[in-house]
Amino acid sequence: MRLSLVLIKRNIKLFFKDKGMFFTSLITPAILLVLYATFLGNVYRDSLTSGLPDMLKLSDGIVEGLVGGQLISSILAVSCVTVAFCSNFLMVQDKANGTSKDLRISPVRPAVLSMSYYIATLISTLIICFAATGICLAYVAVAGWYLSLADVFLLFLDILLLVLFGTALSSIINFFLSTQGQISAIGTIISAGYGFICGAYMPISSFGEGLQKAVSFLPGTYGTSLIRNHALQGVFGEMQSQGIPAEIIGELKASLDCSLYFFGNRVELPMMYLILGGATVLLIGIYILLNAFKRETS
Amino acid sequence: MSNIIQIEHLNKSFGEVKAVQDLSFRVKEGELFAFLGINGAGKSTTIHIMCGQLAKDSGRIMIDGQDLDKNVDSIKRQLGVVFQSSVLDSALSVYDNLESRAALYGIVGAAFKKRLMELAALLGFEDLLKRAVGKLSGGQRRRIDIARALFHRPKILILDEPTTGLDPQTRKTIWNVIFDLRKNENMTVFLTTHYMEEAAEADYVVILDSGKISAEGTPLELKNAYTGDYITIYGVKEDTVKMLGTDYEQIRDAYRLAVPNTRAATELIVKYPAVFCDYEITKGKMDDVFLAVTGKALEGGAEQ
Repeated sequence: MRLSLVLIKRNIKLFFKDKGMFFTSLITPAILLVLYATFLGNVYRDSLTSGLPDMLKLSDGIVEGLVGGQLISSILAVSCVTVAFCSNFLMVQDKANGTSKDLRISPVRPAVLSMSYYIATLISTLIICFAATGICLAYVAVAGWYLSLADVFLLFLDILLLVLFGTALSSIINFFLSTQGQISAIGTIISAGYGFICGAYMPISSFGEGLQKAVSFLPGTYGTSLIRNHALQGVFGEMQSQGIPAEIIGELKASLDCSLYFFGNRVELPMMYLILGGATVLLIGIYILLNAFKRETS
Repeated sequence: MSNIIQIEHLNKSFGEVKAVQDLSFRVKEGELFAFLGINGAGKSTTIHIMCGQLAKDSGRIMIDGQDLDKNVDSIKRQLGVVFQSSVLDSALSVYDNLESRAALYGIVGAAFKKRLMELAALLGFEDLLKRAVGKLSGGQRRRIDIARALFHRPKILILDEPTTGLDPQTRKTIWNVIFDLRKNENMTVFLTTHYMEEAAEADYVVILDSGKISAEGTPLELKNAYTGDYITIYGVKEDTVKMLGTDYEQIRDAYRLAVPNTRAATELIVKYPAVFCDYEITKGKMDDVFLAVTGKALEGGAEQ
């Protein structure tokens, strides 16, 4: 136990001291912020207001609440996965620079090393994502606060789940990597690609039908939707209390990926939790099996 | 002295490449064992197999009386390894690095701090504990590498080209520490090096070429078998040297004669006592042995 704690401490320290890894992990959220500040914010606002019937007018507070909720849910959903990947690159870096050779000449069990990477990645990612959530909530408080205490609690729960999922997924992919070049390649693909496929840059509802179906097979999609639901639930409640018709709110929910469909069937929130949780357990199981069946290390 | 390492008929191939072929040798407890060969000769493969990092194709390895196939974890506790290039975490401090590596052997808390102070005093790095490893000089980093390898008091210290690229003073410091460890703790040292003057200090030498043993023996046995002696004569004229009828070369202030062995040197001196007023006899060097055995020379870490 003491050994695991020392190794976890080592891995966390290395991630935060390695400026390259740390800042790389923040690239995607930073891109989102820049996109939002330059034009995405206006695109969101315009698409919200232009899609409504002429006689219906949303208050500025509601619009800002919707745009803000969409922004923070995008940033948080992306961060949970990309930060986990970058943090977990330590596992690959240790292989690339020979450190894993040094660790494995000792009598330590490979499972202890593997789990220390997983737990350290989990903690590092949670630290960054919870800090980011705090900043995002502060932003929402300024832009337009409609969240209840339960929404905030569920938001943190969603982030915890998505980080668990991102860490498990990155552990499996990084298991097969062993060079700096592979780190760069996967890092670029994840940073650039994950924002799109999870619906952070553009809502999944705006994709073509085929792509929407393909994306509905990815568990991360439901993680994004969970975060988005809890970030926007308060705004939708406020809209309802202001007398905006339920159909319009329903359409808005669908357009913002709060309502997801799997081959035409609506996926409810409990099912989203089940999919994300089940996928995480499955991925952790695969990671454990991969380590158990690993024989020759070099 | 008993055998602390015993390797019998070891084989390892990577696809078509036979990295190690029917390798057998023994290392006695407490001795300095030199394992020589050019890059790709099979040294690192053998070391990786000994450390349980790589599976062998066939053969048997006994270390400290234990079979590697059955007691790999126990054997790992008896081995300390200094790798060719430092594998410590350059972003972390010396203290943090050694803390994480010591924990791998169950050395934590007060036991860690006590051993740390012992090694810091032995290797002279008390003032470096808070410095990041990446900011240390090559010599300082090497001392930390050695401390990491010694932390769990291994019986066998494997040094994979430990002094390559270091300045002479640091090399001397490191060798002094290793000498003390052998003397005080009867530690066995398994050395690979490209510096032949280091190999000359070994108790036993194995020269590897293309995964097979080309030659083995004590440095003296190898020198006697593969090189001749040299007589350097000072204060004589070239005509006098020519008269001796032996191959020679002129050096700055003397002539160096090549003779097959010490007996031949003695016979020459006895035959021409007037010529040998100021002279010295030296054995061939380990570089000459290596060149004679493998047909290749080693210098500063590269094949020549």
